[in-house]
Amino acid sequence: MSLRFQRLLLILLTLVIILSAVLLILYNTRENVSYFYTPSEINKPDIVKNETIRIGGFVENNSFNKISSSSFKFKITDEKASILVIFNGILPDLFREGQGAVIEGAFVDNDIFNATNVFAKHDENYMPASIKEDLKDTGYWNKKYK
Amino acid sequence: MSSLVGFLSLVFAIGINFYLFLSRYIFKFQKQKFNLFIRFSSLLTLLSFFSLMYAYVVSDFSNYNVFQNSHSNKPLIYKISGTWGNHEGSMLLWLSILSIFSFFFSFTKNIDESFQRLTLIIQSLLHILFGLFIVFTSNPFLVNSILINEGLGLNPILQDPGLAVHPPILYGGYVGYSIVFSIAIAGLFQNTDDEWLYVAKKWSLISWTFLTGGIALGSYWAYYELGWGGWWFWDPVENISLMPWIAGLALVHSLMMVRGEQAIKKWIVFLSILCFSLSVFGTFLVRSGILTSVHSFAADASRGIFILLIFFIVTGFGFLVFLLKEPKKSNALNLLFINKVSALVINNILMIIATLTILLGTIYPIIIEVLYNKRISVGGPYFNATVIPIMIPGFLLMSIAPILSWQTNKIQNSKKYVLGFIILSILVLIQSYFLDFNTWGFVGLLLGFWIILASIIAIFSSYKVKFTIKFVKIINPHIAHIGVGIAIIGITCSSVFQNELDFNLSEGDKFIVNGKTVLFEEIETTNQINFQALRGKFLFNIEKNQSKQIEAGKNYYPVSKMITSEAGILHQWNKDIYFILGDQKDNEWFVKVLINPFVSFIWLGVIIMMYSGLIAVSRR
Repeated sequence: MSLRFQRLLLILLTLVIILSAVLLILYNTRENVSYFYTPSEINKPDIVKNETIRIGGFVENNSFNKISSSSFKFKITDEKASILVIFNGILPDLFREGQGAVIEGAFVDNDIFNATNVFAKHDENYMPASIKEDLKDTGYWNKKYK
Repeated sequence: MSSLVGFLSLVFAIGINFYLFLSRYIFKFQKQKFNLFIRFSSLLTLLSFFSLMYAYVVSDFSNYNVFQNSHSNKPLIYKISGTWGNHEGSMLLWLSILSIFSFFFSFTKNIDESFQRLTLIIQSLLHILFGLFIVFTSNPFLVNSILINEGLGLNPILQDPGLAVHPPILYGGYVGYSIVFSIAIAGLFQNTDDEWLYVAKKWSLISWTFLTGGIALGSYWAYYELGWGGWWFWDPVENISLMPWIAGLALVHSLMMVRGEQAIKKWIVFLSILCFSLSVFGTFLVRSGILTSVHSFAADASRGIFILLIFFIVTGFGFLVFLLKEPKKSNALNLLFINKVSALVINNILMIIATLTILLGTIYPIIIEVLYNKRISVGGPYFNATVIPIMIPGFLLMSIAPILSWQTNKIQNSKKYVLGFIILSILVLIQSYFLDFNTWGFVGLLLGFWIILASIIAIFSSYKVKFTIKFVKIINPHIAHIGVGIAIIGITCSSVFQNELDFNLSEGDKFIVNGKTVLFEEIETTNQINFQALRGKFLFNIEKNQSKQIEAGKNYYPVSKMITSEAGILHQWNKDIYFILGDQKDNEWFVKVLINPFVSFIWLGVIIMMYSGLIAVSRR
């Protein structure tokens, strides 16, 4: 192999790597990204059943029910709408009624959201920045939240 | 009183750096005097830091920062670590570590005086920038106007020995890149010889080793403290630490390989600037509150803007110098299809692409929100599906890279490697056939074992085995790669072959985990110094005499009214058995048991990598 040919090969190889990385990123940003909604945004028809999404809001007061030691039922609300959620597993330490939470999962039918993950962040004053604005509008905003 | 001392010494240290910067172009300092000033300002910054620590240790609640983040009944170690368990204190820690690096750099011998001085001047500039940031937006020495007897307490989740030392070590890495940055810029300005490359290599290895340790500690903490059973969650803050780590890895490799080639020198300068820029950018993302995460202490727009400004100054200045100045011309790049240089180039390209992929995934939600007003979240699946495939060719390359030749395309003993690879593939295939076959598991195990095997073949066929320090240094690259191989095996096994078992149990119940009988003895509550503990007690493997007790439960911290999970982990060399105590209903407790195979390999691999990092520092 001549020196020139070897360098050409190297450049081609590099281009292939970069191209495949770009394709990989493009594919994955379509496939592996989940959309984030507040409960009042949910009723839009563009949410597909069984599509993984995230919902952020508050755990509605007096909505929490223990079905068994590992399955729970509660509502997530933003004061305009609320979503019934079922979850199997261990709830995070900071999960409480009236506290902010983000849930990940999918709608199993039109009314029930089956959560696969529940996030309640580690700071009790934590609030997902993304739903802060909505909460300010609805007056659910608590000054303690940073 | 300590607040006053701290504040004055902080301001005075910044003043000295201002003076040094200005005087360089007015007075002509003798070298000795200049270094003395640098050291004096470093010591003042440390004095400032220790006076804050003193305020924490004696619970001086007249200091607003102490009042906000400490409590008199905390154990001493958490009073100390409380110093950096908040935004203001952690920025002061950042500045102190910057000073420590300048301090030690001022003692470097056998380098050009003007080069050393220029590097330290750039460090001074950074000191001024971050110092002003602390004074104007994040002053930890504010004093309460009224008398206060008790503080608000430290976030309980931070009250952990692993996490107490995590920030200083991690910052050792982040801030360590400041000196690499300064060296690279000074090297471009001075442009006399390639001396700066050796200096940069030493310091970038130190920074990289610190960063590795810091990330591993954080990850280990997440593993046993968060109670989720995993050790990496692609949390934005984890990603932010991973970016300079990968870029730093590329930098270390380039510095090892450079033989005075113009193109690689230029690339090294680029990487040095990139590493520090990524560190500052990470600080901006975390501290500005744009990303919400465990690590964002408080969102404050003015801080975000200030750090963004610093980021633009540092990055802008760095890349401007990079574009205007050229390293002195010397050797041309000796690129062949498969020799050391081409392997290095491909490895660097892969690492930079991986870094960019992580960067993109981390800031993608912000971009989408700004552009389309839609909110998305990019989680683990995206990163697993992009970063891992990009890294795989790099891992393959790294198994043979150390034995490639500089001059030719020939690989020594290539038959041995081919034979080894074929035998290994068959063995791993057989092994995966008997366990559940999983593509990722197969690929990961094959890669991990292959890297180890290829390194061992290389050690025994290329060198004479001797038990001397010199030999240890020669085989060091192979040892580092063996560490990576071990870590890959650990990562693959613990993520792909993790096993999850759920139980609903009452006290006294027996259940089977991993073929062994476990007794759920009892639930016990006790009062500790600053928390109440609820523990489920389990006796693992009761049939044999060597049964092990495992405790899993929760802690309740009355001061901050918070609960934290405490997973019970039984460590064995080949697996961790991980107990999480869940909720209770009608005397039935939910217990989740995770069997994580070969987790210990991850930590072992990391320790080997850090060892190699340190050994390489001493190798010239």
